[in-house]
Amino acid sequence: MPGFATTEEINKYIGGIFEKALDDTDIGPRLMATGMTLRMNFSDPEAVITVDFPGQSILTGEDAIVDADAILSMSADTANGYWQGKVSLPLAMAKGKLTIGGSAAELLKLAPLAKDLHPVYISMLEENDRHDLIIA
Amino acid sequence: MTATKRDYDTVDISDPAFWEKTPDERERVFSVLRRERPVSWQRPISSPLMGEVNENEAGYWAVVRNEDIVTVSRRTDVFSSARGVTFEDMPSEVLEMASSILTMDAPRHTKVRKLISSTFTPKRISLIEDQIYRQAHEIVRGIAHLGDVEFVSAVSARLPMWTISEMIGIPEEKREEVREAANLMISWDDDEVSDALDPATAMLNGISTLHGVCQDVIDARRASPENDLLTALVQAEVDGASLTDDEIRSFFTLLCVAGNDTTKQTTTHTLRALTEYPDQRRYLAEDFDGRIDTAVLEFVRWASPVMTFGRTALKRFELAGRTIEPGDRVVMFYASGNQDETAFDSPERFDLSRDNRNHVAFGGRGPHYCLGSHLAKTQLKAIFSELLTQLPDIRAEGEPEYLASTFINGIKKQRCVFTAQE
Ligand code: HEM
Repeated sequence: MPGFATTEEINKYIGGIFEKALDDTDIGPRLMATGMTLRMNFSDPEAVITVDFPGQSILTGEDAIVDADAILSMSADTANGYWQGKVSLPLAMAKGKLTIGGSAAELLKLAPLAKDLHPVYISMLEENDRHDLIIA
Repeated sequence: MTATKRDYDTVDISDPAFWEKTPDERERVFSVLRRERPVSWQRPISSPLMGEVNENEAGYWAVVRNEDIVTVSRRTDVFSSARGVTFEDMPSEVLEMASSILTMDAPRHTKVRKLISSTFTPKRISLIEDQIYRQAHEIVRGIAHLGDVEFVSAVSARLPMWTISEMIGIPEEKREEVREAANLMISWDDDEVSDALDPATAMLNGISTLHGVCQDVIDARRASPENDLLTALVQAEVDGASLTDDEIRSFFTLLCVAGNDTTKQTTTHTLRALTEYPDQRRYLAEDFDGRIDTAVLEFVRWASPVMTFGRTALKRFELAGRTIEPGDRVVMFYASGNQDETAFDSPERFDLSRDNRNHVAFGGRGPHYCLGSHLAKTQLKAIFSELLTQLPDIRAEGEPEYLASTFINGIKKQRCVFTAQE
């Protein structure tokens, strides 16, 4: 699977998709309504992103190392695949590619919203000429 | 979706306390509704999977009469399954991962159900039936020397998951893992289980284990086909369409729920009924082979292991004098439909010779009618044939421990006794 090379890339694209999501007139309010914070720990390369949906803030690096309602840990490759709709949540969990902490109920509320963002993520990669990251 | 503000019925069946009562106590309440307000508007219930009730949430229509359950089940143009069918709300993600055809509407439902059904060939069914009889024999033989056992874990719970694993082709070394995961999925509303783990985590863990094991089998069969159901599912093709891996995993997960607790609960309820009604037991034993096909329908009506399923209205519809608006939730109470005095003579009697063509335990005879009904009946015939021949005086002893649930008419524990064999 094609993947990210640097922490900056992860912050740019994965952080970027949450920025777009919060700005979206349909998805943004639905995300805020969840009232939750989500933290994501990435490996290969390492990165941390925390999104506070009601506060509409996206934190990275040291700032992101905070308590959250739900915590997802995965490799950067898995994250890139997930946002393109190529990774099944239960299967990734079963194979140890993704672990969840905190409230599973909160995560289950977010998952359907993430689906609406798959095309947005792919077009963001296209706009940035990152066809290398797109999974056929 | 609808702005209509309606008063909730004075008979409140959304109260958690109502669902902690025994089935008989609940039936007394349903009988009032059937007679007086067969379609009633009820306040919303909370779901342990979704958290507290949202204050803006509307209530639901309670459908308690046999004929109305049939109407709701058949009119799939009006009553949709796609937004979930459990009484308690499920996250939509869970529907996709775990409920397959159960929460699809036409045309997708028709297409996928056809693909799946095409793999249940007569040859495959008769093969699994032979295996079910052998397995039932082993289960009963395994307890015959004991004389006194907890029936649910020793008997009822054993056959259903074994059947599904065998049918799908789950490798021997994975079966225990599958059994545990399946049990996590069906007990998310059991306080004993969910005390240890929050319900959503329990369910998600169960689902992910099942998906993982199933994908391994899919990959193995794709690489080297065998003569089993999973190979057939991988290869199935109807009108140029085939099943995706996601669809196969979701179907397998559905089987682990739909085909597990249902037969298990029916087995326990039936042992209790045969104990309570010795005349019916004698009647059956006198000519088991000649009477079991009719009797088994009464087992299922009597148990009504699935008590509730819901739909969402897509159009305005008149039902028993009430106007259901688009977007309204509608919940069918199968257990009540199976006690409807307009559909059955003396429904309160366990009667193994009864004409049971109206029973709605497998659903109201619409397009979602239980796909496993034949298999369920085979399992019940096999296990009771073995019980009544190997342990002819087996009986339920003492009171059962009921499951508090709005969905499954469950018994968690039931002691049974019999003369121990050599
Ligand atoms: C006594 C045992 C059982 C009972 C009472 C039962 C009950 C039901 C009910 C009420 C429905 C929904 C029907 C509707 O919406 O109209 C259903 C659907 C289903 N059942 Fe069963 N079931 C039993 C055993 C089984 C078994 C053993 C299997 C499979 C191994 C199974 C597989 C299914 C499937 C796949 C569906 C979904 C069908 C669809 O949506 O098209 N069931 N069952």
